[in-house]
Amino acid sequence: MLHTIATSPLRRTGWIQSLTTPMVRALQHPWVENIVRLSAIEDSLQALHPLMSLTQVRARVVKVVNETALTTTFVLQPNALWAGAQAGQFVRVRQEIEGRRVERVYSLSSRPGARRIAFTVKRQSGGQVSNHLHDHLKVGNVLTISQAMGEFVLPAVLPAKMLLLSAGSGITPVMAMLRALQAQAYRGDVAFVHICRSPDDLIFASSLKEWAEHWPALRLVLHFDETQGRFTTDTLQRLVPDLNERSTWLCGPGGLMDAVHQLWVDQALTVPLYSERFVAFARLPATALGTPVQVRLLASQRDFTTQGSAPLLVQAEQAGLNPKHGCRIGICRSCQCVKASGTVQNLQTGEISDAPNELIRLCITAARSPVTLDL
Amino acid sequence: MSFAPLTHSAQSAHLSREQIAQFEIEVNVIRDSVMNNLGQADVDHIRHMIRICRASEIGGRALLHFGVGPMSWIAGVMALASAKILDNMEIGHNVMHGQYDWTGDPSLNSQKFEWDIACDGEQWRHSHNVMHHTYTNILGKDRDLGYSLLRMTDAQKWKPRHWFQPIANLLLAAGFQYGVGSHDLEIGRYKHGGMPKEEFKGRLDRFVGKVKKQWFKDYLLFPALALWSAPRVLAGNFLANLIRNLWTYVIIFCGHFTEGVAIYREEDCRNETKGDWYLRQLSGSSNLTGGRLFHIMSGHLSHQIEHHLFPDMPAHRYVEIAPQIQALCQKYGLFYNTGSLFKQYLAVTKRILTHTLPPRAVAST
Repeated sequence: MLHTIATSPLRRTGWIQSLTTPMVRALQHPWVENIVRLSAIEDSLQALHPLMSLTQVRARVVKVVNETALTTTFVLQPNALWAGAQAGQFVRVRQEIEGRRVERVYSLSSRPGARRIAFTVKRQSGGQVSNHLHDHLKVGNVLTISQAMGEFVLPAVLPAKMLLLSAGSGITPVMAMLRALQAQAYRGDVAFVHICRSPDDLIFASSLKEWAEHWPALRLVLHFDETQGRFTTDTLQRLVPDLNERSTWLCGPGGLMDAVHQLWVDQALTVPLYSERFVAFARLPATALGTPVQVRLLASQRDFTTQGSAPLLVQAEQAGLNPKHGCRIGICRSCQCVKASGTVQNLQTGEISDAPNELIRLCITAARSPVTLDL
Repeated sequence: MSFAPLTHSAQSAHLSREQIAQFEIEVNVIRDSVMNNLGQADVDHIRHMIRICRASEIGGRALLHFGVGPMSWIAGVMALASAKILDNMEIGHNVMHGQYDWTGDPSLNSQKFEWDIACDGEQWRHSHNVMHHTYTNILGKDRDLGYSLLRMTDAQKWKPRHWFQPIANLLLAAGFQYGVGSHDLEIGRYKHGGMPKEEFKGRLDRFVGKVKKQWFKDYLLFPALALWSAPRVLAGNFLANLIRNLWTYVIIFCGHFTEGVAIYREEDCRNETKGDWYLRQLSGSSNLTGGRLFHIMSGHLSHQIEHHLFPDMPAHRYVEIAPQIQALCQKYGLFYNTGSLFKQYLAVTKRILTHTLPPRAVAST
């Protein structure tokens, strides 16, 4: 068995960060902030040049590639604050839609170290952000993105035999890995199994075709559900008989990922299996009001279980905590905090919401599922 | 004449419990009609205000620093005063109410916002958002009632110090930012042993800290940067702050202390429903008439009634719902208190002067 050590993401801190970091720290000093707000400086810089910022990675769209009917790749030129990415990492992409700031994560498909970065978006039916990006993002537009993050990366020392397995739009981080391997002239044995509905749905088709012809280290296996039937773990074992010799990177829909993980357990495979889940967040179904649920507080690292249908503020106090609060009737917003995940109900309007990272007022909000709060 | 406190029952005595419940539903419908279609226009509005405010501050300070002659000085003072008024009224006050929290923009986040005034943002959020907006016009709870300085109603006990009320009123107006800033100290409660010394010390430090920062900016740093023009800049900054103080004082006093505004006792407000709360907010507030510029410069506190009904609704939307609220008041036979700035401030002044006198003196006139 080949031991691989997961390397933590390397952050290349360039000369620009060594300038901006102390500047930002100075500007955030209360005495300076009282004279000029950092947001005013940021807005002014942005007015001078849309990519200019002291705090944010901003990137200009330089190319839009329609990959398939439903997927589009956006190629971006980031500003100097961009610290680079490892193959397989993702970024949070921020959009302002109808005045509301929304963020989604997208894996980068570009070669690590490339000057330009790329991410690929699949239109989700009813997906607010994916559709907005498809319909509105044009060459020349400027986006704000996060630095690269994620642990789904290639190790510093590459194993001799690898399997990359992806399905649908799960191909994007794997594509970055393939590009990294190609750039390093990887001479081992990499099998890439990709599953999608039909040849029309294949993203990055031309690059893959070219590699399959000219890159001896790569064995490309495409499985089209429409013509070849449903892909199962049996199919995988048939296509890749030497599974137990290949360190595996897996990215795709939940069903496939669960099945492959189960295969690793059932067959007692000893090679490492790295995977990246594609769901942005879990939508938790609402339980009946008053059902005891677990509340997790991130900042204070506390957990408690609710009792009855009282608002979260009362629940937290019953658990011996003392969150900041004021009017207790939903007016003053002193108890406002970020709900990282979970389904909650506004007791004043009756509205039920499962959106991640949303502001809630503890005094008028009840948990309707396990909830995580940034408190 | 006297300003007998209009009690809860006097304002809405004719309404049955069912009517109050119905009133609540109708008010909620108006609220939802706006809150369910918040969008780009609202964010654009506040960002536009922020840009104007910044430009006005930069222009004002530049005129004070580099201008020559009295006209540029006056223009600089006016521009700087406008920037401070915009920052405090249309931007700061409204943002800190959470009117733009839904945008997710951290620079518009209510709990983090800090403004260009001697009042610390966090202390403001407590004294204003918590105490004043929750317990509006409840005697002994809403500390905005006369700002612990003035006697505004017969229900407040007359003391000899109230003879000086007209002078105290002028001093409060001129130094309004310090009045607002020290409001959350609750000096009275501390003096009567109602607050532990450490807590008072903490609050005092916070207030003094903010005042120091403001003085450093307006009365030390910017004058020093102006070198030989230091006196010109110092005087300009002082006058700009004074104008802002007077303007904010007038607008805010017209919001709750006009004629016919109801004062409540704590026992009136026990077991209040949301409908009762709406009625109290309505009867405890008064509006000012004017044009768009006036509304913006007042931070839309010219729509004090709408603001008190819906403190977290983006304020520039009050104009569009005001006719609906007014119509609702007519339907339920409720008093919708509105008038020109002159008329309303005259009523406030009369009220301050009337309550200067001990109750017996008033009775005999």
